[in-house]
Amino acid sequence: MAFRMTRQTVALAVLLVIGTASALAHHSFAVFDHTQTFTVTGTVTKFQWTNPHGFIELDYTGADGKVKQYSIELTSINMLTRSGWRSNSVKAGEKVKAIVAPLLSREPAGLLLEVTLSDGRKLVSPVPAADTFKRTPEQELK
Amino acid sequence: MALKISVGLVLILAFAGIVFAQTPPDITGSWERVGPGALGRGQGTDPRTPPPVPPPPLKPEFLKQWQARQQAAREATAKGQPVGINWVHCLPDGMPGMMQGPFPMEILQSKGQVTIIQESFTQVRRVLLDRPQKALDDVDPTFYGNSVGSWEKDTLVVDTIGIKESVVYQNVPHSAQMRIKERIRLVAPDTLWDELTIEDPVTLEKPWTFTFAYRRMKDYTLLEYICEDNREYIDEKGLQKMRLGK
Repeated sequence: MAFRMTRQTVALAVLLVIGTASALAHHSFAVFDHTQTFTVTGTVTKFQWTNPHGFIELDYTGADGKVKQYSIELTSINMLTRSGWRSNSVKAGEKVKAIVAPLLSREPAGLLLEVTLSDGRKLVSPVPAADTFKRTPEQELK
Repeated sequence: MALKISVGLVLILAFAGIVFAQTPPDITGSWERVGPGALGRGQGTDPRTPPPVPPPPLKPEFLKQWQARQQAAREATAKGQPVGINWVHCLPDGMPGMMQGPFPMEILQSKGQVTIIQESFTQVRRVLLDRPQKALDDVDPTFYGNSVGSWEKDTLVVDTIGIKESVVYQNVPHSAQMRIKERIRLVAPDTLWDELTIEDPVTLEKPWTFTFAYRRMKDYTLLEYICEDNREYIDEKGLQKMRLGK
């Protein structure tokens, strides 16, 4: 009984936190898939340092050998700044590996969770309630 | 001689008393909201923070509509098709939403005015001190309304009217007659509370009271925030979508 109570309390707390955090995100991140992640490896064409959200534009090579474009949404640049990011943290022309939560619609865009830069450094995007996005085994987008 | 000294001492003490009595607490600086749902370093629940915002005590007809809207919004979110909100249009929260954050805020105390700036959307409200509140008919509705305030000992008491009816907090409807009363005070040297009481004779059954708590950020300067390039938009069904192909 005590165990059940605890689990219920934890579930309620999690619900409350998720509910409030998603209400606080600048836009709802509900358009992104919370059940799986994609890995996108490619060359940065643009690192857009703007509010309400920043963006990384990426070119990657698809399974058919053609170069495709993928838009990666970040959080507000104010949150990024407070997490240690700078406007030059990612550079155009740089090869990066991004872990994203893809759009549910499967249009070519996703929410950045983590990016590995060309020098091996990893930067994490300060996504509110980031733990609600389930990380799945590495799955390269082709 | 002794009499002169005594009179002098009394005058000095009286003057000091007036000075101390009239010096409001120093709340100038950067603040970050703490408590449930707060972002950044404020995330988590601090035992010193007040309880979460209770549901609004709306009159039955408004309560029914509000609950239906909240339910519809929850269902749309669960389907991955969130309902668009003001932010998607690059519009600020306005009052009282801006006091909830989500980003740090700055308070500036100057002669006759306390200015409160919320970093997100660069929201600014001005509390004019020691002035009478205007009549409702004399205030054109705005996002932040017309705020007047005064220091009652250690508490900044603020009265705000004239909030646009389109500016809503937590989707709660209000009328042009809404009035927001605030009591802002330091509960500890680096902890600030803002107790808000919302009155609305049209929509609320009784006043709606809740408190936001903030932690002082000693070395933080507010950043610029311009809603410059928003790729999200609200489609004809009122749902949030993302523009692609930039």
